[in-house]
Amino acid sequence: MDGSEPSDVTEPPDVEVPDALADVVDADTGEGELERTIGLVGGLAIGVGTMIGAGIFVFPGLAAENAGPAAALSFAIGAVVALLVALPASELATAMPRSGGGYFFISRGLGTAAGAVVGIGLWLGLVFASAFYLVGLGSYAGQVFLEAGIALPIDPAVPLGVAFGVGLTVLSLFGTENTAALQNAIVILLLVILTLFLSYGSLDALGVFGAESTPERFFPPGGALPVLQTAALVFTSYLGFAQVATVAGDIREPSRNLPLAMVGSVLLVGVFYVVTIFVATSAFGSGRLGEFGETAMVEVARAFIGFPGALAIVIAGLLATFSSANASILSASRAVYAVSRDGVIPGVASRLNLAYGTPHVALGLAGGPIVVLAATGQVELLAEVASFLHLVMYGLICVALIRLRREDPPWYDPSFRCPAGFAVAGVGGIASFALIAFMQLASIGVGIAVMVAAYGWYRYYATDVELKGDF
Amino acid sequence: MTETPTDDGGEQAETDGQTADGDRPESARPSVLVPLEVLEGESPPPGTPELLANARVVLLGYHVLPDQTATEQAREQFGETAMSKLDEFAASLAAAGADVETRLVFTHDGETTIDRLIYEYDCLAVLVPNSAERVESVLVALRGTVGVGRNTRLVAGLFADAGVDVTLYHALGDGETPDDGKSFLNGVRADLVERGMAPDRIETLVEDADVPIDAIAGRAESHDAVVMGETDPSVTTFVFGMPSEQVAERFLGPVLVVQRERPEE
Repeated sequence: MDGSEPSDVTEPPDVEVPDALADVVDADTGEGELERTIGLVGGLAIGVGTMIGAGIFVFPGLAAENAGPAAALSFAIGAVVALLVALPASELATAMPRSGGGYFFISRGLGTAAGAVVGIGLWLGLVFASAFYLVGLGSYAGQVFLEAGIALPIDPAVPLGVAFGVGLTVLSLFGTENTAALQNAIVILLLVILTLFLSYGSLDALGVFGAESTPERFFPPGGALPVLQTAALVFTSYLGFAQVATVAGDIREPSRNLPLAMVGSVLLVGVFYVVTIFVATSAFGSGRLGEFGETAMVEVARAFIGFPGALAIVIAGLLATFSSANASILSASRAVYAVSRDGVIPGVASRLNLAYGTPHVALGLAGGPIVVLAATGQVELLAEVASFLHLVMYGLICVALIRLRREDPPWYDPSFRCPAGFAVAGVGGIASFALIAFMQLASIGVGIAVMVAAYGWYRYYATDVELKGDF
Repeated sequence: MTETPTDDGGEQAETDGQTADGDRPESARPSVLVPLEVLEGESPPPGTPELLANARVVLLGYHVLPDQTATEQAREQFGETAMSKLDEFAASLAAAGADVETRLVFTHDGETTIDRLIYEYDCLAVLVPNSAERVESVLVALRGTVGVGRNTRLVAGLFADAGVDVTLYHALGDGETPDDGKSFLNGVRADLVERGMAPDRIETLVEDADVPIDAIAGRAESHDAVVMGETDPSVTTFVFGMPSEQVAERFLGPVLVVQRERPEE
């Protein structure tokens, strides 16, 4: 059943052209030049580090409860949709290797109105995502108390999540140097722990170490519908590849490294997710997994390896959700910068303070709402709204690709071209919008409200900003 | 002070070192990188213009940002301020006679940036900017024959016409006799003379030191500046590798760190 991995997608070719476009962006304009400091490994670490926290350490319990073992299929569907968007996004990113990611592509490709909705949506989408990761982080931190045998009167997930949210925001305000190196180390450590654990779990599930576990019925009683609904829910696990594009301005040799990092990180986490669900559902029935909630993987590890396994997964879960939350807060502040640079929101939002070199206003605009949302503790709603806002952006990225290829403006010269561009972008766009339809009504409502508010803001404040083709 | 020959007229930051002024073709000018964190308030300390009067100075203003800040964002906000400061510094260096090129870089990693520029300009040395009251005598610490040519090119290029006294210094390694050291330094001395240094301005000093760093730092006190090599041959080049940093910290004067030959790209 592990044939559902999207392994048929070919890696993008190794483009070895000099980055003329990147050179133009970085070149000295009389006010200094820009150094690109993130390589391929760093790019992959941003993508994987942002994504893996949710898919493996928060969702398995919830997903299995909804869709049974077929939740693996839900994750695979998410991976395919993400790949269909990652390829067009890669092309756009090599044509516009600037900070701002999806917002930048859409505002330049489709104009200011769409750009404003996506830019503000991206900021809030990341805010929702961060809040979701923080609740996950809180759950794992709470698990630490549980493992230590300390009984707490209340479920500590939400208060701890809020505390971490405040802590991370403050930390990022004071410019912790070189968080990138730390992020790389965390991601590598995580991948090692997970590879060991999942290999052992898979072998065990297949009966190598004893009795083969009796497989549950693959599809849930509701058939395909719960699988698609679950795919919409867990799509939050694939939001990270777009974060690679938000730091496109820092990536060395962007024409080669951007596509590799985006597509590579989706493939990597997709495989991990599918295997995780397989292992988890072979250890417990999906009903049991659902009862374990956000920290279901801890119990799975305990079932296989006992206390050391549980401990390893608790630690890994802490690291993973921490790095996801941190990466999302930072990306959210970058999104604020991107829209404020263009004058879509007041320029004061992107001010830096010289002492710490950090955008304190933008970080505040990210951190404040994140803490408030984390306090609600609505895991599924937070995740779905985050997915909703991202999926709108992904759909429009595909539209932007089609439009730019059609119009072919003189500045549009991507060094990576998405294979079968129109088809991939067409299917990717439709799939992105279609996935939204399978969300809960409440999530759709909140998402639409955010978009309407963003559009209202654009009408009120930014109608005279012209961004289409402004490159 | 120094007998700086040419002051080719101007406040211009970018003096083009053409061969028009005769005896010194441009290629003879050693390239020296001067990295300054301009926005942190660093400026070329007193004495730097005199020290580098005969150099092709690559004046690098850089600003290190935490990872959460887009470099673009900082350039937008601080670029102009930083550039005008840098131009001011460049003018003061050029006024003393140096050829100056300015670069301003916003980066997340200062080391990467410095390293890239060393490559780009094929810099012989990087200056650890500390102040000097005057530049009359320079201590040149030499480790061995490997890459010593870069030291002599730098020293002769900077000081041959400047009336500066140079002391060549070598701390003896394991199994080296004082005579070995002596003959090594004499070779270097001959090379310097060939490159135009006056023989009577060159002294040599061989010493049996337990801890060369301590010895160099100690000797440096009676000089105005130090020239020493990069340390630790590794793939990455640590510009401010430990020993030169330690010397700079204790000596408190300018240290020119001679860079290893970079492999051709």
